[in-house]
Amino acid sequence: MKQHLGRQSGVQNVEVSLRDGKVDVTPKEDGQIDPAQLLKATYDSGVTAAEMDVTARGKIVKDQSGGLALQVAPNRSFMLTPNELSKGLESLADTPTFVTVRGQLYQKPPGKKKPEPPATFKLLILEVLKKE
Amino acid sequence: MKTMKMAMLVLLGSIVVVPAATAQIKHIEMRVEGMT
Repeated sequence: MKQHLGRQSGVQNVEVSLRDGKVDVTPKEDGQIDPAQLLKATYDSGVTAAEMDVTARGKIVKDQSGGLALQVAPNRSFMLTPNELSKGLESLADTPTFVTVRGQLYQKPPGKKKPEPPATFKLLILEVLKKE
Repeated sequence: MKTMKMAMLVLLGSIVVVPAATAQIKHIEMRVEGMT
């Protein structure tokens, strides 16, 4: 699995902990990493991703429907799942302020052994690490 | 004068490009099942 994930675009390094069932992925700085591609590569390597957490730096933007999103690249943003932490970032929407957050991007639906990767990801913010 | 214009272009370019380049996914951690 380490080799399989390591071949994905935008991936710099992969560390696998068999004991904890954890996979740490360090992205390259080119911003090319694609969480959907990583999930697919994980499934293709014969294991099921139960959860995916990301640490990301970006700007808070408002999408067409008025919801908040974290823009992590010019062509990539993640819709935010509303919670207390996302509400606290609402005032930063469409401002030049960068935020670094840790959040859950994917959780396997209960009961499904091998679910399809989601078409769109929603980021549930677990921690706001920095505002700058 | 030409050098001055070039310097201004570089300065403006860096102002526009740098913030966009610093937005990124820094780390991904997955919990997986079925790994042997």
